[in-house]
Amino acid sequence: MADCLFCNIIAEKIPARTVYEDERVVAFHDAYPSAPLHILIVPRHHVPTLNDIPDGDDILTHIGKVARKIAEDHGIAESGYRFVINVNKGGGQVIFHLHAHIMAGNDFGMKIILAGIGVSIAWRKLVSWIRPRS
Amino acid sequence: MSSAIDECIFCKIIEGTIPSEKVYEDELVVAFWDANPVRPVHILIVPREHISTLNDVPAENQILAHIGQVVVKIARDFGVADSGYRFFINVNKGGGQVVFHLHAHLIAKKEDVRS
Repeated sequence: MADCLFCNIIAEKIPARTVYEDERVVAFHDAYPSAPLHILIVPRHHVPTLNDIPDGDDILTHIGKVARKIAEDHGIAESGYRFVINVNKGGGQVIFHLHAHIMAGNDFGMKIILAGIGVSIAWRKLVSWIRPRS
Repeated sequence: MSSAIDECIFCKIIEGTIPSEKVYEDELVVAFWDANPVRPVHILIVPREHISTLNDVPAENQILAHIGQVVVKIARDFGVADSGYRFFINVNKGGGQVVFHLHAHLIAKKEDVRS
């Protein structure tokens, strides 16, 4: 589809940092990574969402195999990674061309929460040190 | 390896020795409510065959395509297919996998779904 970002990446009209490709899928780094390693696996055939995969189409099995290969190539297969497909707007899908996310590395959300807890503990200690209760 | 399967909570749920709130089952997979849901809809789709992680799915095994079809079916049944949902698989410890029997999560925000 002419106005689809991922179709244009697959057609090499828009550049991307490709890490893998074969006759059925292309995989490249997410342009706006939300994890230290964030790769998208995209079928060459334009399917809008997971809901739209035709019955009997084994593309998801192939995407799973490619996910494992990419995880092995990046040394995260054993340490761990997340395989995610967001479906439609409420599921967080932004580009309406089916794609799977491979994400690995630090969990920044948890780091922010832990940092927040650390700061609040330090603040309470500081306050009790400046104004000790009698 | 057999001891790992003997200890597997999902194998016990599939056998029925541990209770669960099932929403779907067929000859290949069982789907049930997550015991500790993180969203108003939080369903786990689990293959009957004990496969530890996504990395361990054999090359010719079509289970992932089947899991995808079941996820879409359940999303439609719960009325979240068009509004939206997330389908994810955590792989190994660093990916957040807790139970080492392959499973896919389906989560959605829709409220009052259980009633």
